[in-house]
Amino acid sequence: MNKFMHVTLAKMKAYLKTFIALILVSIGGTLSNGSYALEAEKSAGIDVNTIVAKSSLAAYYGGSDGRTMARMKIFDANGRQQVRQFAILRKDIEEGGRQKFLVIFSRPNDVKGTVFMVHKKPQGEDDRWLYLPALDLVKRISAGDKRTSFVGAHYFYEDVSGRSTEADNHQFIEETESQYVLSHTPKDPQSVEFASYKTWIDKQNFLPVKIEYYDQQGKAFRLIEALDIKTVQNIPTVFKAKVTDLTDQSYTTLEFRKAVYDLGIPEDVFSERSLRKPPVEWLRKKK
Amino acid sequence: MFANRIIALSLNRPLMIYWGLVLFTLSIGALISLIKVDTDPENMLSRDEPARIYHNQIKQEFALSDLIVVGAVAKTGETIFNPQSLADLKVLSDEIKQIEGVIVKDVNAISTIDNIEQAGEGVIRFEWLMAKAPTDEQSAIELQQKTRRLPFVVNSLVSGDEKAATIYVPIENKDESYRISQAIQVLIEQLSNANEYHITGLPVAEDTFGVEMFIQMGISAPAAAAVIYLLMLYFFRSASLVVAPMIVAMATVIIVMGAMIGMGFTVHIMSSMIPIFLMPIAVVDSVHLMSEFADRYKPGSDAKAEIKKVTQHLFQPMLFTSITSAAGFFSLALTPIPPVQIFGVYVGLGILLAFLVTILFIPAYVSRMNDIALRNMQEKLHSASSADRKPSILARLLPIWGGFSIAQNKLVIIVALVVTAISIVGISKIQINDNPVRWFKSDHQIRVADRVLNHHFAGTYDAHLVLEFTGREDLIRGLYGEVISIVQQAKLNQSLSPESINAIETILSKGAQSLSIQELNQVVDDLLFDESDSGILVLEQIQSVVDESEANLKQFTLPRNLAYIEKLQSYLLETALVGKSNSVVDLVKTVNRELRSGSDSDYAIPETQNAVAQTLLQFQSSHRPQDLWHFVTPDYTKSLIWLQMTSGDNQDMKAVIESVEGFVANNPLPENIELNWAGKAYLNLIWQDKMVAGMFDSLVSAFAIVFIMMVILFRSLLFGLLAMLPLSITIIFMYGMIGWMGKYYDMPIAVLSALTLGLSVDFAIHFIERTRAYFKEHQDWQTTMKLMFEEPARAISRNALVIALGFTPLLLAPLVPYITVGAFLAAIMAVSALVTILVLPASFTLLKGILFKVAK
Repeated sequence: MNKFMHVTLAKMKAYLKTFIALILVSIGGTLSNGSYALEAEKSAGIDVNTIVAKSSLAAYYGGSDGRTMARMKIFDANGRQQVRQFAILRKDIEEGGRQKFLVIFSRPNDVKGTVFMVHKKPQGEDDRWLYLPALDLVKRISAGDKRTSFVGAHYFYEDVSGRSTEADNHQFIEETESQYVLSHTPKDPQSVEFASYKTWIDKQNFLPVKIEYYDQQGKAFRLIEALDIKTVQNIPTVFKAKVTDLTDQSYTTLEFRKAVYDLGIPEDVFSERSLRKPPVEWLRKKK
Repeated sequence: MFANRIIALSLNRPLMIYWGLVLFTLSIGALISLIKVDTDPENMLSRDEPARIYHNQIKQEFALSDLIVVGAVAKTGETIFNPQSLADLKVLSDEIKQIEGVIVKDVNAISTIDNIEQAGEGVIRFEWLMAKAPTDEQSAIELQQKTRRLPFVVNSLVSGDEKAATIYVPIENKDESYRISQAIQVLIEQLSNANEYHITGLPVAEDTFGVEMFIQMGISAPAAAAVIYLLMLYFFRSASLVVAPMIVAMATVIIVMGAMIGMGFTVHIMSSMIPIFLMPIAVVDSVHLMSEFADRYKPGSDAKAEIKKVTQHLFQPMLFTSITSAAGFFSLALTPIPPVQIFGVYVGLGILLAFLVTILFIPAYVSRMNDIALRNMQEKLHSASSADRKPSILARLLPIWGGFSIAQNKLVIIVALVVTAISIVGISKIQINDNPVRWFKSDHQIRVADRVLNHHFAGTYDAHLVLEFTGREDLIRGLYGEVISIVQQAKLNQSLSPESINAIETILSKGAQSLSIQELNQVVDDLLFDESDSGILVLEQIQSVVDESEANLKQFTLPRNLAYIEKLQSYLLETALVGKSNSVVDLVKTVNRELRSGSDSDYAIPETQNAVAQTLLQFQSSHRPQDLWHFVTPDYTKSLIWLQMTSGDNQDMKAVIESVEGFVANNPLPENIELNWAGKAYLNLIWQDKMVAGMFDSLVSAFAIVFIMMVILFRSLLFGLLAMLPLSITIIFMYGMIGWMGKYYDMPIAVLSALTLGLSVDFAIHFIERTRAYFKEHQDWQTTMKLMFEEPARAISRNALVIALGFTPLLLAPLVPYITVGAFLAAIMAVSALVTILVLPASFTLLKGILFKVAK
């Protein structure tokens, strides 16, 4: 009897969750981006480059600026965990174009105060800075490519900052009831570790919910999933995501909390000054 | 009597015996199809051996894979830094990544790793060291300059003389190493001709070993059978008679191998030698039976009656020799080396089985031989050794020999004593050493690759030194207590919200053992968002004690511990026993140098723990963050130093261990840090030590058992001692010779002692038994000795020859241990037969007053 009750309760909870999620997603879709909802209706005729552009906007350009607290848990193949906790401040300079980021670390305690600053330039090489408090050192970073690990996680720098939509050739694969499925092949295969990748994009909010990377043999070796999407200030926002190395099942989860948009962060916050002296005001400010 | 019943069964129900043997052999032999070959030297240690468990735990904790090493040496004789050589290397490493079963992200070569360097004022650059192969000389030279600044490249991925480079290919499963190395070979053949390639690495050696093991079994065992057959044909001149012992030998080998494989044991280097050991030993009893039968049988006499008499007569000595031989092999079960145990037990069982098959089958077979065949044998044999013809060499030599040892008995004994004394000096010179790579002949491609790569590089043999923090539990327990008291205080003050108290107590309720610092941190961090000002103070108090514990736990970001590792590494390099060592310290120092000025003065350990952590965070922002975890565990409580050595000899490994022990004695380890060893070269040393000690135990106990059996058999302490004399002299002589020759005491040499004991006691048993029987019959010493050097001495010599020559096909084997065993066993058999028929008659003559009293 007890057991039965338990099962039923669990099921009901699950239904309730799905229900709420559905409502949230639909509200988010309708309210925040009415135009998307409209376009989605006539999706049969939608152009693949439009989907890609919209998806990029949905994933990386919510609001005109934003702040979120992030917690990364990196699990190796033995299940051992490392944690990285940081705040992200972002400001869009051009919608769909240049952006500025500040990433301020708080955990593990021994890297507290480490700061990354990025001035993203989709058309050229990003400007990147690094501040290491224990060495009292500010450095410009120059990187051969953007597919290096983000602080030891399974995420790449490019996954966090956003891969340029110009870097790949996009191909429409199929359209399901709720998703567009696209395939992408790099224009410069030498510069990346994959042969191609596929994205599954939510038709409602244009967030990529799944990205799978393939090697030369067409075997999937890397998977990124959006596990939890909530709507904040009418903007559908990924609250939990996961990257899995399919070769050994090691993975990283990335959880966001306290996401806010449109704080009105001035551009000069994203300057070298903020490296040594994090902008406390903007890290604490409530919307 | 039991013996008579068996003989009667054999003679009366021959067909039943035939069919029984055929069915038994076929049904158990069918199990051979389940064969599984095991070439992993690790299996020399049992699965629950602590050193092995630790080694595998370290392998798991530091994500260390089995490696195939591909070495490329520039054909120009100049450096590898020329566009063509590098282009080939790049293509090869790219293509190797496509091979199924390769752990792609851990493939290590200059084309798969990162470079970190200064790029102008205040700029640090991260990029692939060699994303594309340089197209001109100039950029090749630039690459060369870069590699010189990367400690993980120098002498590991590029040789010290820069003429060679390596690709380390980690594989998921070492059983696949043969296939993968073949695939790499195919790729190599498609490259331009710029480099010469060598493929090595322990998994390749193991797999190759497995292949050659089958060659050994496929060639040496049948060859041994052929040699034995021809030899017996020479002795007995009857093809149809000689078929019988061959059947005994074949049946024994098939049943034993089938039983062993059927019991689920893998075929290891030791057990692969079972057929070739059993074959000559299995025919020994038949040779005794047939020797006497051939001597006694006269045309017209009743073969059945003759063989019955012979079998009855020889039953007891044959039983005893079988039991003593088996005891010698069974004693190997006392060694702590599983493959040696299995070998010993199954050869021992095989000897007992061979005895049983012999007394069941030989009488049945001989009694059913037709008269024509018997008459033919008789004619040939007797015409060959009859008076008007020249007698056989053995028949001529043995009586002379006997005469000499009786006449010059004192001289014989003195010579034996002198030889023994010289041998004992030789034993003290024995050098214990082994190295599985040396199991291949010196011109084998694996030995060649081994030589070439160890000539150019700091070494392809690995050992791991693991430093481990032992204070973890105390530390966590202390933290647990502190957090509890803070929470208790907060409860009293009501300074923390009930939700927070509840959340923290939930974690604490799991107990100190399962307290996770990370989990505690996360909960406290989350609670901070909604806590009141007074609550925030409490949470920050908790954070500060947690942070302190976390810092104390991360022992291998502590500069003083890193400095200890640094010192140990430079000490190792000075001793010249180790070609190179690699650790997290090299990595920290490299990143630190580039973060600061790029100049050598900054190639140093940062001053604070946080600075080390932040340096490592930068390393982790590379293409290969996972490389860090080969040198330190993610909680920084363990750190591994990877030693590269140019020799896999156990002696050299031992010297390294001793030198580290010396270092630790002079430089005590930091508090709560313990030092342990892992790695293949270390494991080899462990099983060698176990083997040496184990072999001594096994030899001593086998000696004791055989001695007791001899005393019981002869019902005389003195005869028991005399029976042990020839084999003792033989064993001492053999090991003395090994000492004088400077040959290393290794695994195959070690197992020889017990074998010698089991096999050479046979000769003594037969000799003493027959001497006493003749003396009892004739009551005259002279007559007894004369008769002894006829048929009995011939039988002993024949057996010695059968066994000695039966082992010689091992000389054809492609692997050194087999050759060693073959050569030494052949020598041992010859020496022990010689000693038996020289020393025993001499001793008898000296002691005849006590030993042989004429019956009144």
